[in-house]
Amino acid sequence: MGDRFQPFGSALADTLKPMLSPISILKQVDRQAIRDCTPIFIPAIPFGFVLGLAITEGDLPTAVGWSSSPLVFAGAAQLTIVTLAGTASLWAVIVAGFVVNTRHVMYSAALSPTFRKQPRWMRWFGPFLLLDQTFALVSLKTDMEPAAFRRYYLTVGGFFYVTWQIITLLGMAVGPVIPDEWRLDFAVPIMFMGLVLFGINRMPAGVAAIVGGLVGLAAVGMQDRLGILVGALAGVLAGSIADSVETRRSGAGRSIANPAP
Amino acid sequence: MNALPAFGIVLSVAVATYVMRAGLILLLAERTLPPVVERSLRYVGPAVLAALTVSFAAGSSDGGPPSIAFPEAAALVIAAGVAWRAKNLILTLAAGMITLWVLTWMGY
Repeated sequence: MGDRFQPFGSALADTLKPMLSPISILKQVDRQAIRDCTPIFIPAIPFGFVLGLAITEGDLPTAVGWSSSPLVFAGAAQLTIVTLAGTASLWAVIVAGFVVNTRHVMYSAALSPTFRKQPRWMRWFGPFLLLDQTFALVSLKTDMEPAAFRRYYLTVGGFFYVTWQIITLLGMAVGPVIPDEWRLDFAVPIMFMGLVLFGINRMPAGVAAIVGGLVGLAAVGMQDRLGILVGALAGVLAGSIADSVETRRSGAGRSIANPAP
Repeated sequence: MNALPAFGIVLSVAVATYVMRAGLILLLAERTLPPVVERSLRYVGPAVLAALTVSFAAGSSDGGPPSIAFPEAAALVIAAGVAWRAKNLILTLAAGMITLWVLTWMGY
């Protein structure tokens, strides 16, 4: 099922193959993935509108500013470069955009074991769609069969890619039409918190989340949201320590938790 | 700003972002890391998403100490309870947002 794009010749041909046949793409869409995307998509709407407005008001030429949506495809970094451009040196803008996105290195590391089972074109193309939201959803599905995982991943990534282009364009055209009082901005932490809780299946994962959250909170004042990275690293470290403690204890004869998938 | 340097910014950040997203997936495609590191990668998800949650709930992009008002904090607690029990994202979102709206409307 869904494995028709397996290795034929060069990586480029493999990459182009799925794009050449829109009907086969529609057949590949994972409906469950679309259902999972929908609630996460809601808080992205006001954010996209804010970005669209920032593009029209910012110092970058409007078309260039919008081109960040299909090319960079990372809302926080896009908002950073659009608002900083013209107020800071060229390099400062680039570095700030880079720093805001550094957490993607961790996503890449975390998904690398799962991507080992994917064909080469997927390893090159898939990461292009790796948003916070994509990671949050697919990291709960890493035990899927490779073909099913690929379908899920590409559906989630493709859904956010297409809708993001539309929302930023709409934001540029009509500005922020959703009233601030609706507080849809706060839907973002609610979503991420829900996804954290869904992902906690074992004790060390809980330790990782608690430490990541507390250290992230203590470091929340850092520039460019670097506190996210600091909190995440502390959480991963704490989770690993908890994991080795748990392994040692269960090795001593007491089975505390189920073995990981 | 001229179109050329402006596009230079966008393209640089685009390339850097792609490299950060793809780099380790491509580098680690053919080799495995020591088991300890490999196991630790499982905790990236919960750790980074928890850090993102607090950053969006209590932080601001220009720095400053963490702060959160009562309706927001209550919304997170209620949503957490629903997420834990119902394991459903739409219900979680609805519970959190309704709590926030009701408490704000009540004047907290």
